[in-house]
Amino acid sequence: MRSGPALSRRDWLRFSACGLLGMSQSGWLPALADEAARGKPAHRACILLWMTGGPSQTDTFDLKPGHANGGPFQPIDTAVPGIQISEHLPGLAQQMQHCAVIRSMSTKEGDHSRATYLLRTGYLPQGPVQYPTVGAAWSRELGSSDAELPNFVSVAPFRFLSPGAFGPGFLGPRYAPLVVGEGQPGGTADYEQSLQVKNLTPPGSVTGAQAEARLDLLTGLEESFLQRHPGVTGASHRAAYLSAVRMMRSTARKAFDLDEESDALRERYGKNQFGQGCLLARRLVERGVPFVEVSLNGVPGGAGGLGWDTHAQNFDGVKSLCEVLDPAWSTLLTDLKDRGLLGSTLVIWMGEFGRTPLINPQQGRDHFPAAWSTVLCGGGIRGGQVVGQTSNDGMTVAARPVAVPDLLATACLALGLDPEKQNLSNVGRPVRLVDPQANPLQEVLASR
Amino acid sequence: MPSPAPHRISADHPAPPCAWAVPSQVVPRTGSPRTLSRRALWGCVPGGIGGWLLLVGSLAFAVPASVRADGPARAAAPADAAAKTDALDARIAAFAAELDVLLNDRLAAEQVTAAPLADDAEFFRRVSLDVAGRVPRVAALREFLADTRPDKRRRAVDELLAGPAYVAHFARVWRGVMIPEADSNPEVRFLLPPFEAWLRRRLLDNVPYDGLVREILEMTVDPRQAANPFQPQVGLNALSYYQAKQLKPENLAASTARMFLGVRIECAQCHDHPFDDWKQEQFWGYAAFFAGLKRDGNADAAMMQINAIEEALGPTQLEIPLQGKTVTPTYFDGSQPSLGFRDSPRRVLANWMVSPENGYFARTLVNRLWGQFFGTGIVHPIDDFTAENPPSHPELLDRLAQMFVESGHDLQLVIRVLTATQAYQRTSQQTDASQTDPRLFSRMAVKGLNPDQIFDSIAQATGFREERGRNVSPLGDPNSLRAEFVQMFENTRDSQTETQTTILQALAMMNGKFVADATSPENSQTLAALIDFPLMTHGERLETLYLAALGRPPEGEERRRLENYVETGGPTGDWKQALGDVFWSLLNSSEFLFNR
Repeated sequence: MRSGPALSRRDWLRFSACGLLGMSQSGWLPALADEAARGKPAHRACILLWMTGGPSQTDTFDLKPGHANGGPFQPIDTAVPGIQISEHLPGLAQQMQHCAVIRSMSTKEGDHSRATYLLRTGYLPQGPVQYPTVGAAWSRELGSSDAELPNFVSVAPFRFLSPGAFGPGFLGPRYAPLVVGEGQPGGTADYEQSLQVKNLTPPGSVTGAQAEARLDLLTGLEESFLQRHPGVTGASHRAAYLSAVRMMRSTARKAFDLDEESDALRERYGKNQFGQGCLLARRLVERGVPFVEVSLNGVPGGAGGLGWDTHAQNFDGVKSLCEVLDPAWSTLLTDLKDRGLLGSTLVIWMGEFGRTPLINPQQGRDHFPAAWSTVLCGGGIRGGQVVGQTSNDGMTVAARPVAVPDLLATACLALGLDPEKQNLSNVGRPVRLVDPQANPLQEVLASR
Repeated sequence: MPSPAPHRISADHPAPPCAWAVPSQVVPRTGSPRTLSRRALWGCVPGGIGGWLLLVGSLAFAVPASVRADGPARAAAPADAAAKTDALDARIAAFAAELDVLLNDRLAAEQVTAAPLADDAEFFRRVSLDVAGRVPRVAALREFLADTRPDKRRRAVDELLAGPAYVAHFARVWRGVMIPEADSNPEVRFLLPPFEAWLRRRLLDNVPYDGLVREILEMTVDPRQAANPFQPQVGLNALSYYQAKQLKPENLAASTARMFLGVRIECAQCHDHPFDDWKQEQFWGYAAFFAGLKRDGNADAAMMQINAIEEALGPTQLEIPLQGKTVTPTYFDGSQPSLGFRDSPRRVLANWMVSPENGYFARTLVNRLWGQFFGTGIVHPIDDFTAENPPSHPELLDRLAQMFVESGHDLQLVIRVLTATQAYQRTSQQTDASQTDPRLFSRMAVKGLNPDQIFDSIAQATGFREERGRNVSPLGDPNSLRAEFVQMFENTRDSQTETQTTILQALAMMNGKFVADATSPENSQTLAALIDFPLMTHGERLETLYLAALGRPPEGEERRRLENYVETGGPTGDWKQALGDVFWSLLNSSEFLFNR
C-alpha cells in the first residue's frame, strides 16, 4: 500500500493554505492592514438550528390528528392558509410565509452517530475520508479568509455522539468553528456565562506595546519552527493564533456583548442558552459571519434525556423543547427581517432523523429515519409551502421523497453556492460540496 | 471474522519463550519502592520544589553525572541478577535494531531518506513527555546533557519508567482509552479518581497486561461488602469501568472489542457493519458474554449507584433489541464456547481473549503503544483492524506482538524497545523533501499533547504547584486549574498528529490568568527565582527559560536577538518585564505546546 503521493499532496494543500496567512515574513500587523483595505461584497449567510437527538415530526410539523399515532397535540392554522403545524409552535406559525416545510425526508440511518454525520456532512462515514461539516465547507465558500470574526461559529454543540460531524474534516483547522458554549445534555442553566468568549483581552498588567512585542517574539519562534517542522499541527497552531489576535483587535467582537440588546428583545428570544444563542447568531450574521449554528440540546429540568431523543415521555419533552424553540426561532426570523437580513440569510431547522409515529409503552417515540421533516426558511427560499407528504399513519413517505443530498444541495443553491464545487480530500480524491447524485428541490428555491 | 485474520502468534523464532522475562527484583528503581508506591498511588509528586534557593539550585545547577552512583537497587543487586539485566538490555538493543532494519528497508524501497538522529536535548524532552507526561526539569536536562556515558539514552528511559510521573501519566493515558466517556460527560468524571488510583497501583507494579485485562473482565464486587458502611469499597478495583458502561452488555462489548482487540464492532450494534463482514448478530453474540451481569434495579440507576458486580454463572443468552431474537455467547469467528453451569462467561471470554491463539490481543496492544510513541500506528487509526485498513509494516507488527507475548505481556518492555529504535530517536525536523508520509516513520512526528501533558508541562516549566486537598483529587474538583485546562484542551485527545489548536485555546494561553501569572515577574515562581538570583547574567537567565520551556538552549541568531531584547528591556524598558515577555512567547509557541 503506497499512499505517499496522496499524502504529500494533502500536506502541500494544507500547508499552502496556512502559508497564505502564516508564513509571511512581515508578522502580524501587515496582515491586519491588508484586511482593512479589502472591501467586502454583500454576503449571504446561513444559520443552522441543530436539533440534537432527532425531533419528532409527528408532534411538530407533520401532525396526524385523528390517528392513533398522532398523540395528544393538536394542529393549528398558520399565516399561510392550508398549512397547519403543532399547537406548541404558535410563534412560528405566524412566520410560515418564510418557511418551506419538507415533510418527506427519507433516509436510512437510525443510529445517532451515523445519522448525525450524514446530516451534518452530507456523506456517510466512509473509511479514511474525513468529510467536513457543512458549516466548515460552506463558510469557506461564503466567507473571506481575513475576516475579523471567525467565519464559522458553533453555539453549544453537543459533539459526543459523532465528533467527526462537527469539525472541518479534510479542509483543515483553519475552517474549524469557534465554539461558544459547550453543549450539555439537558442544556445549561448558566446561559449568560456559557455564551461568553473568555480571555478576549490581554491581562491589565500588560501594556499595549508590550502585547505587540510579545506577539513579535512569538512570530519569530513560530516561523522558524514551521520552516523546520512543516505539517498540520504547527500550521493549525499558527492559524488559531492569527484568528484569535484578529478577533482581539476587532471592534466586531462586540457581537458577543449581548447586553447591548434591549431586555425586551432578549426576553422575546427566550432567556435560555438556545434563545440567547439565536440572538448571538443574528448579531454575528449582522457583522458578516457567514455561518452560525445553534444547537438545542435540551431544557434544564425538562423531561427526557439528550435533547430531542425522547424515547420516554415524548410529549412532555417535546412540549418543553417547543417552549424554548418557538420564541427563539420566530423572533430570529422577525428580527432578521426587521434588519433587512432575512433576504440574505438562510435558516435551516433539522436534526439527525425523525421519530417513530408509533408511540411506545413509555409514551416515547424511537429513532425513525424513514419519513420525517426538516424546514428551510429565509434567504433564497420560497416560503409558505409544504414539500412532500407522508402516509396517514406517518409510517412512509407518500409523495416526493427527499434524501439528505437533495436537502443540502437545495440549501447550497439558496446560498448561491455551486453544490458540485470540488475540494481535494485528505485521501487525494476530490469531494464535491454535496454528493452529485443530489436532486435539488427547485420548487423551494426563490426565483432570482 | 474480519480479514486479514491475524494468524496465531507462533514460536517460529528461535528465541526461547522466557528470554524476555525481566527479573523483577532487578528492575532499576531510583528510590525506595515503598515510599515511591505510596506517593505515586495517591497522586503524582509535584515536580517543583519550594523556596527560591532550592528552585534556583534545581534550575541552574546540576550534580555532574560522574558524581552520581548508579541507582541503589541496581548497585545492591546480586551479581548474577545484574548480569541478567545487562543481557536483557543487550537483547532490547538487538531487537530494536531488527525493527529498524524492517523500517529502513521500507524507506529504501520507497526512496525516502531518513532524517538523522535527534540531538540529546530533543531526545530527552521527547522521551520525558512520552514516558513521564511532562517536560523535563531543568536540572535533569542539564544533567543528561552533561552525561558522557554512551548508553545514557537507555538509562534515561529506565529512570523515567521507574519514576512516579510514568505511573501517573500512563494511568491517565489508559484511563482515556478505557473510559473515554469522561471527556464529554461530567457525570463520568466523578468516577475517575478511584479508577486512576487502581491503574496507578497496577502500573507501579508493572503487572502483566493480560493480568490487567483479566482483572477488568473478571471482576466482581459482592453487594454485601458494597453495602458495608464501614468498608464501602473493597480495595482498589476497576468498578468505575463497569459504572461508566452502565453495566450494559452492549456497552461492555463495544468497549472491550475496541480497546483490547482493535475491532470497532459498535456500528454493528444497530445494523450490519458496512465495511466489514460484521453482522448485527455477531455483535450481540459477543455482547452475550456479558449477559450474566445482574442488573436488577440497576437498569436506570445513576452510574454512581452501581456498586455491586454480580454475575449469574452458566450459559447465558441475550435478546437483540427490537428483533425478538436471542443469541448465546459467540466469538468473532462464529465458534461458541461450551459453558458449564459453574463457568463465568466473562472468564471464559477472558481466557480466549488473552490466549496467544487470539492474534488480535497482542497486536492491538503493541500497535496502541506504537501509536502513542510515534503519533501514527502501524495500523492507523489504532483501534481499527479491518481488511480495508492494513498495517503499514505487517512484519514489524507481528515481530513486536510476538516479543510482547514471549515477555509475558510486559508493558514497560515494549516502551523500552520502542524508545531504543533509531526510528524513535530521529529528529522531527524535515531534512529531506521525501519525508512526507508519516506512515513511513522517516522523521519523528510532531505530536500534540493531551490535556494533562499540557497542564503538567506548564506547571513544570513555571514552577506551579498544584493545590491538593487531603481527600479531593483535582479531577474530582471541577473548579481546579487542572480541570479547567483539561476541559479547554479536550479536543487534543483525538489524534496526536492532527491536533488542531482552537481559537479559544489560543485566547486562554495568550490572555488567561494562569499564563499571565506565570509570566509576570511578581507572580511567577520561575521568573522570581531567576530575577532574584544575583550571580546570573541575562544570557544565563534566558538560557534557563529556554531549557525550562523548550528543553533546549537558544540558538545563535535567536540568542543574540533575545539577549538584546532583555538587555534593552523591550517596550517597558525593564529587563524583568522583558524576561516575562520572552517567557510568554515561549509558553505560547508551537515548540512548547507540541512534542517535537
